Amino acid sequence: MRKFHRDDLQSTDGWEVQLRKGCLELAILASLMEGKRYGLEILRRLESDSDLVVSEGTVYPLLSRLKNLGLVESEWVESEAGHPRKYYRLTGEGLRRTQQMAAMWRRFSTSMSRLLARVEEGGASDER
Amino acid sequence: MNDEAQRKIDAYLGGVRDGLRGLSASDIEDILAELRAHITEKAGLCGTISATTVDSTLASLGDAGQLASEYATDALLARAEVTRSPLRLLESLFRWASLSLAGFVVLLGSVSGYVLAGAFLLAAVLKPLHPEAAGLWVSREGTGDLSFSLHMGFGSAPAGGEREILGWWILPLGLLAGCGLAVLTTRIALWCARYYRQSRSLPRSQSNQ
Repeated sequence: MRKFHRDDLQSTDGWEVQLRKGCLELAILASLMEGKRYGLEILRRLESDSDLVVSEGTVYPLLSRLKNLGLVESEWVESEAGHPRKYYRLTGEGLRRTQQMAAMWRRFSTSMSRLLARVEEGGASDER
Repeated sequence: MNDEAQRKIDAYLGGVRDGLRGLSASDIEDILAELRAHITEKAGLCGTISATTVDSTLASLGDAGQLASEYATDALLARAEVTRSPLRLLESLFRWASLSLAGFVVLLGSVSGYVLAGAFLLAAVLKPLHPEAAGLWVSREGTGDLSFSLHMGFGSAPAGGEREILGWWILPLGLLAGCGLAVLTTRIALWCARYYRQSRSLPRSQSNQ
C-alpha cells in the first residue's frame, strides 16, 4: 500500500483553495441578487452567509473584473458615513449568468453528494 | 483621523497608483476612491481611525503592488479581449509582459508571429516591384542541408547558388500566409489572455491567508 506523504495533505489544501476560488465568483454574484451592495457589505455578507472568508484584496479586483465582463454595474452614492460608497448591482446579463451558474451548481452538488454518500458508506463499512 | 494614519493611507494608495499605470485616468481615480472609502470605513469601525487600525486594514488588502497588478492585468486583458487590432493587442500584451512571465512569453510569441506575417506580406507586395529580388529562395549548403530564405526585395537579388521556388505564386501565397499568420497570432494571443484571465481571476481564500 502507498504511504501517506506530507505532499498528499498539501495537495488537499491546494484543492480546497481551488474549490473556494471556483465558488467565489458565484458567491459574489449571488450576494447581489437582493439588490445593490458596496464592497464591504459584500465581504460581510460572504462572511456571515458562507464559509468563504476572502481577503479584501481579492474582492475588489474581482468586482472590477465582473464589471469589465458586464455582469455588474456600479454607481457612487453619498452615504451617512461621510464619504461616498461605490455600490454594485447585477446587470441583466449578470442576473442570467448567476441563475445559470446556480442551476449548474445545484446539479453538480446533487450528483457529487450521491457519489460521496457511497464514499462515506464505504468508509463506514471499512471501519466495521 | 490623525496625520500618521492619513500618511499611511496616502502612501499605500500611492503604491497602488504606481502599479495602475496603463489604465485610463478615470479608471485609476475610480479604483483609488473605492479603496480609500473602504480603508476609511473599515479602519473606523471601532470608532476613531488610528495608525493601528489603518495598518490592520491595509494588511487585509495585501501588498499595494500585488493589488494593483490584480486590477491592471485584468483590465488590460479585458481590453485586449475585445480588440481585434494587433496594435491595441500588442499594447496590452506589453503591459501584461511587464507584470508576469506568462505575459512576456505570450508577447514574445505574438511579436514573432506578427513579424513573420509582416515578412510574408511584404515579400508579396514587393514582388511586382522587384520581381528578381523578392520571393522565397532555397539553397543547398555545403553540408547538404537545404536552407530557405524569404527575400523582401529591398536589396540585390540572391546569389546564383540559390533558386527561387515560388515565382509569382509568392504574391497570393504570401498574402494568404501573412494574413493567416496575423489572424492566427491574434487569436492565439487572445486565447492566452482569456485563459490566463480566467485562471487567475479568483485568488486567495481563507485557507491560504
